[in-house]
Amino acid sequence: MFSNPMLLVALAITGAVAVWGIVDTAGLAAFAAELVSLQFQSRAWFIMLAVSFMLITCLCLALSRYGRIKLGKDDDVPEFSTVSWLTMLFAAGMGVGLLYWGTAEPMTHYLLISKYEDPRKAASLALFVTNFHWGLHAWAIYALTGLVIAYFGFRRGCPSMVGAPIVKVFGANPLTRTVAWLSDLMAIVAIAIGLGGSVAMGVFQVKEGVDVLFGLEDTGLGLTLGIFVVLCLSYILPLTVDLGRGMALLSNIAMIVAGGLMIFILLAGPTHFLMGGIVQAAGEYFSGVWTQGFRTYTFMDDKVGNWFQSWTLTYMVWWLAWAPFVGVFIARISKGRTIREFLCGVILVPTIFSILWFGVFGGVGFYGALELDVPILDVVRDNVSGVTFFVLDKFPLRFLTIAAVVAAAFLFLITSVVSAAFVLGMFSTGGDLNPSARVKLMWGVILGALGLVMILSGSIDAVKSIIALGALPFVFIVLLLVVCLLKALKSERLQS
Amino acid sequence: MISPLYDTFLNVVAFAFIGLLIWLYFKPSAIDKEQSSDSEKGGPGAS
Repeated sequence: MFSNPMLLVALAITGAVAVWGIVDTAGLAAFAAELVSLQFQSRAWFIMLAVSFMLITCLCLALSRYGRIKLGKDDDVPEFSTVSWLTMLFAAGMGVGLLYWGTAEPMTHYLLISKYEDPRKAASLALFVTNFHWGLHAWAIYALTGLVIAYFGFRRGCPSMVGAPIVKVFGANPLTRTVAWLSDLMAIVAIAIGLGGSVAMGVFQVKEGVDVLFGLEDTGLGLTLGIFVVLCLSYILPLTVDLGRGMALLSNIAMIVAGGLMIFILLAGPTHFLMGGIVQAAGEYFSGVWTQGFRTYTFMDDKVGNWFQSWTLTYMVWWLAWAPFVGVFIARISKGRTIREFLCGVILVPTIFSILWFGVFGGVGFYGALELDVPILDVVRDNVSGVTFFVLDKFPLRFLTIAAVVAAAFLFLITSVVSAAFVLGMFSTGGDLNPSARVKLMWGVILGALGLVMILSGSIDAVKSIIALGALPFVFIVLLLVVCLLKALKSERLQS
Repeated sequence: MISPLYDTFLNVVAFAFIGLLIWLYFKPSAIDKEQSSDSEKGGPGAS
């Protein structure tokens, strides 16, 4: 195991980040914030252009004759039913983030936008921006990465590694092997750091839920660390045994709980207001999404510029950080589907679900703030992790719904860490589809340590900067992979 | 505030990368050479 240089270098880099973060959390957070801010100031145009290009590429591929190409042999059939496939896609890509940001994100944008616009108009713009962050562009990043891995894996016989298509398309020589090796390494670093951030966010949310459920006050870091330890103990067992489809089952349960919660809020809350908001948000999103994809807020003041960096750009690189992890997963479950089916399923369905989700959870927040004068904006300012529970607290069956969110967040966390440890184990052992329990455990420890760093940083903004730092190089790799895919498809068309 | 020199450097790297991608897309490569051998077998998706 220790003769594998990829594993050693990857463990060394991620381990060093973890140790630095634990020893000097503030120093790492400040370093990440500074570096990411420089990159974002200078390359905002490049990131927005890249993600818009990815979406346009997906659209062109889905509508072109390439859409008929199968991800697999021509006679392969899909392994999972379409409904099961779509549920798994969504759970893998968004997971705990939806529970965390459902109400909090639109309300946070509202705080800024309402300084420039009328409050009612600001609410609609805040929902639009939230849908943009979680919509077509995010899923196009996942879809293209997954498509590259699936196409080269199932149709061209490459290992399920990020760098494999580069060697396949440009030939095996020292240069391509080095670029492929570096791509795999950067994918590992991006996944590990990105997942550490999600662990922290999930733990923050579970802690808030436990506070609200049991009426605890000022529990501080003690309870957070306690929950973190329970989480670490909970994922050790699944890492050591092969649970096969058990993980998919847990993930589907979490997804069903989340979906049930959304329907409950829709029916128990101001249904006409929420449905009106959803329809309006959908219309505004689909009519404005293309322009928004190219918007860099260059002519706005610093306040808007900072907001753009810490939200839109951070989200885009966050999706890029998760892309290899989610890409491998969605590639694995999509064998036998055509490129058109794959792209439509991966991009459209989760986007529509996100619009519904934020329409319900964001809508209920706006209803409280605009119609009932509930002090939800104060909660958003003071404690963003507690916003979802503040909303649920105003509904009937509060104990049940809050417990459901805590349980779903915990399940999402366990399944994410276990799946990520598997993918990291696979990447770091040259594409071994059954990495040993020891390698997975080692990654489990590193993921836990990175999660601890993010928890110790104590702020979601610091978490976002550290994630962006790990993910920034990946924008270059995904674009290179897109070129590999387009060349391979062109070559396939020429020969047929 | 970012220094103009560093800003220019970061952007030149981005321009060069875009140029590299365009060049790589049009440059003949290994997968094109595989084309003829794959054609004889019926293409990459043939079972």
